[in-house]
Amino acid sequence: MPRGVKIALGLLVLGLIVGLISFRGIQRRVKRLAESQTADEKARHEVLAQPITTASDVTQTARIFWAAGSDRIAPVEVQLPLSANPVERCRQLLHELTANPPTSGQRTIPADTTVLGFYILPDGTAIADFSDTLSSETPSGILSEEMVVNSIARTLESNVAGLRRLKILIHGQEVDTLAGNVDLTGFFDLNSAPVAAPQTTAQAASAAKPTH
Amino acid sequence: MIDPAHGGTDAGAHGDTSIEKDVVLQMARSVRAALERQGFRVVLTRNDDSNPSYDDRAGIANVYRDAVFVSLHASSMGAVGTVRAYYMQFAAPIAATPVAASAAPNSAPEKPVPAVALASWEDAQRPYVVASRRLADQLQGEFAQAFSGSPPYSAGVPVRALRSVTVPAVAVEVSSVSATPDQLAALGDPLGNAIARAVEAFRQGGGGR
Repeated sequence: MPRGVKIALGLLVLGLIVGLISFRGIQRRVKRLAESQTADEKARHEVLAQPITTASDVTQTARIFWAAGSDRIAPVEVQLPLSANPVERCRQLLHELTANPPTSGQRTIPADTTVLGFYILPDGTAIADFSDTLSSETPSGILSEEMVVNSIARTLESNVAGLRRLKILIHGQEVDTLAGNVDLTGFFDLNSAPVAAPQTTAQAASAAKPTH
Repeated sequence: MIDPAHGGTDAGAHGDTSIEKDVVLQMARSVRAALERQGFRVVLTRNDDSNPSYDDRAGIANVYRDAVFVSLHASSMGAVGTVRAYYMQFAAPIAATPVAASAAPNSAPEKPVPAVALASWEDAQRPYVVASRRLADQLQGEFAQAFSGSPPYSAGVPVRALRSVTVPAVAVEVSSVSATPDQLAALGDPLGNAIARAVEAFRQGGGGR
């Protein structure tokens, strides 16, 4: 074998060894980074998932709109400590809607969704900023996306006076659709539609049985 | 105009054995056949596994001045075999909605649209909402009869696919992708016949103007 070929082969083998070592190092670094991001995300979720309490909290009856069957939502009356501050009150209501459905079948909002921010403008526009999970984990479909938006909108309008419309953001951004169908670039009217009679928690749990 | 939703890399809703983009394309072909048997001229916004943008789909529809636009969807949920019709729901302008009197967000009066007029692409459907709702109600009436368990009334929802369409436009969603392929295939003909009856009744009732 000519000397030049031997040198080339040697360099090739050397390069391969160096490449493998570097690749394993990169793999380890990527894994560490992913673990660190997961831990950060978990810690952030744990902080955000804590019940929100304020100095002006008073326990009262709230109407929370959860799923009642596979194609509609209905209000359920629950006793909740609610703030006199409308922004905090909205955050408390959305936390309850997300974290504490009476049964898993009544869940409308994906389980790991968190409210990243909530604001109310002077004209009555409520702006709710949700984590990516709301968009990525909501099943695609007009019916399923409509139930998510309606459960949020009806819960807010039923328990907080003065809200006129709702804007939903995902991770601080306006997005085109929730999960491929329902338009999130506009606003949702609040306090404009009649709502069904409230159910008790027990009635709601029985109504939540799938219809198919 | 029949618009099979999604396509290409956008699969839409996922079932155990079916995905929405394939279900609605197959269904659109059945609906087209049923409508053509009734004498309608039918155009599909896609007839393969492509994914035209919302704007492209609206652009195809907006070329025709005497059309209706039916966007076909298959849901992730709902009782299998039920069908729902939706019309575009726009939020009311904030300045015109005092809290006590904001019950008519789609309250654009049904008036003739000028032959030549500038319209915002973002809400080009707005002048047609009343006609679209009438078409959706007509469709839902047919669905309630043909598909047991379907609701009696259509619903207003801000469906992205309808926003920029300048003819009467509705979304029709079949429940659901969790049905078996045979169940879904069996829906095609009755769905086409129901849509044909509703569109005919809509036209006889004055159509989109």
